[in-house]
Amino acid sequence: MTPRTGLRRRLVGANTLWIAVVLLVLIAVFGALRPDAVLTAFTLQTTLVETSVLLVLSVGMTYVIITAGIDLSVGSVLVFSGVTSAMTMNALHDGNATTAGWGVVLVGLLVALASGAAWGLVNGLLIARTGIPPLIVTLGSFGAALGAGQLISNGSNVAGVPDVLSDTLGTGTWFGVPNLVLLAAAVTAVGALVLGTTAFGRHTYAIGSNEEAARRAGIPVTRHLVRVYLLAGVLAGLAGFMALAYFRVASITGHDTDNLNAIAAVVLGGTSLFGGAGSVVGTVLGVFIPAVLRKGFVIVGVNVYWQPIAVALVLVAAVWLDQSRRRARDKR
Amino acid sequence: MSRTTVALVSTALLLTACGGGGQIGDTGGTGDAKKMVLIPGVAAEPFYISMECGFREAASAAGYEVDVQAPAKFDATLQTPIVTGVLANKPGAVLIAPTDDKAMAGPMRQLKDAGIKVVEVDTKLEDTSIASSTISSDNEQGGRLAARTLAELVGDRPGSVLVLNTKAGTSTTDARAAGFEEEVKKHPNLKYVGQQYTDNEPDQAASKVTATLSANPDLIGVFATNLNTGEGAATGLRNAGKTGVVNLVGFDASPKQVEDLRGGAVQALIAQDPATIGRTGVEQAVAALEGKPVQRDIETDLVALTKADMEANSKYFYRQRC
Repeated sequence: MTPRTGLRRRLVGANTLWIAVVLLVLIAVFGALRPDAVLTAFTLQTTLVETSVLLVLSVGMTYVIITAGIDLSVGSVLVFSGVTSAMTMNALHDGNATTAGWGVVLVGLLVALASGAAWGLVNGLLIARTGIPPLIVTLGSFGAALGAGQLISNGSNVAGVPDVLSDTLGTGTWFGVPNLVLLAAAVTAVGALVLGTTAFGRHTYAIGSNEEAARRAGIPVTRHLVRVYLLAGVLAGLAGFMALAYFRVASITGHDTDNLNAIAAVVLGGTSLFGGAGSVVGTVLGVFIPAVLRKGFVIVGVNVYWQPIAVALVLVAAVWLDQSRRRARDKR
Repeated sequence: MSRTTVALVSTALLLTACGGGGQIGDTGGTGDAKKMVLIPGVAAEPFYISMECGFREAASAAGYEVDVQAPAKFDATLQTPIVTGVLANKPGAVLIAPTDDKAMAGPMRQLKDAGIKVVEVDTKLEDTSIASSTISSDNEQGGRLAARTLAELVGDRPGSVLVLNTKAGTSTTDARAAGFEEEVKKHPNLKYVGQQYTDNEPDQAASKVTATLSANPDLIGVFATNLNTGEGAATGLRNAGKTGVVNLVGFDASPKQVEDLRGGAVQALIAQDPATIGRTGVEQAVAALEGKPVQRDIETDLVALTKADMEANSKYFYRQRC
């Protein structure tokens, strides 16, 4: 086998290649239909900003699903963290943090991360120590975190986000790249590196492939699972803080389907729901395919009732393509 | 099966059969006819709190004892136990915003069968035989008003106009969108580019606004049919640097929305009048209890708030507490 064919085979066999091709084809089709509206810096910028929050959620979800787990609570934890963060900032600044400074914002960030971490820890401990299935544990925290957020906020959206936060992280740019996107990209890059190159990442794959084998190989499975759910919780907390900066309000009702969107993105990106296989790069592609579809459909003027059907068709077709290609590869 | 068991089972069956066709909730006894209960659609929402304020004021003035019982979420499974709980106390009248136009029919019929006067406020059942009266906002009029307000804000300038709706099949927001569509066509300078659904998620609303801006750079107005779509639209416009350039008309007037109107993120709000809905509900309930004529359907008007006239109309701002 010459090096060249080896490279080609590796590329064709790469988990994410076909999903990347699907994404490029979508962009090419929309670009051909409305080049003036689709292939612009404006569309690129807004699409990136609008996917940043979901991307951060999905990075955490990738780790969880690779361990053969699931985390349904991320959207509710996002809401809870946003509420606690916004209310803390308001409390520190006489009830309305709109004019507050960086000190208050920093406290708000820490509160958001800590809130996320707390729910992540609860999820992780219950799943790793008690053996209750992740689906049930996180279904519980999905309801509980949202309820707790409503309890603290008295059920209504929390306003009063500091202007310095929303003007810099929310809408600010750095050489034309939105700051929110930079933050999401940094989180994603670190997430990809840790998963791909460190012992933490290898242990994550090992547990997802075969938990018992991992345990016998000396991997501290219980501790590792707690850490993975903790990571997902912290990232949900960060996403809550980002959403706060972006929307300038902690919204109670607007994140009901964030968990499903994150799971769809991860699975679309080639991560197996049975664990043991997947990548953060794939997840990035998986986040963008629905986002590009939704945006493209509005731009080219697809009938509103057709839009959800078309999104669903592309999602299922993309995963089917990926699966059949893998089956073909495994037969070789 | 032993003979005793058979005998017991037959006796039990016989007793059930002879039980007089009872229903769960038949408590018997008399309640307190001078008591009135409000069951809003959901707790702690400024719209329903404002309704509660009007309700408490009017009912107390009419000499009734008042109580308010709200479900934690806008959900029929959470509202049903509240209705049956209220039924046990047998108040004179119940004002209710049914959270589902079919699922709430059963529990509400129990109220009626127990002799309690039922008045629907804000939302209503498909079955119109249960309530004595229905008081709601004329959502279509609200939509038409939104289009007229937008046309005034825009003046003679030409441009595209978008409607951001929640979920397909939500009767209130669909009526708002329909009213808007009907009215906007009377203004030839406004090109209606249709409505987009957002699943009631702010991030989708933001994305659909920026996508529409890409496709229609001449976008001049957006009508967001509820709170979440309005917040998402404001975010999308801010990211596009189009705040104030594209006129955003929102629906409802909760404190955060009023703040956005004052701050310039939103150019107009279409406010319902929940306090009047609550007060009118009490009037109709009193009439029903006293055997006076009751008006079956009442639609309350909506008002447009713009930055210029908002302070003069501050009585329409929704309240967080009475």
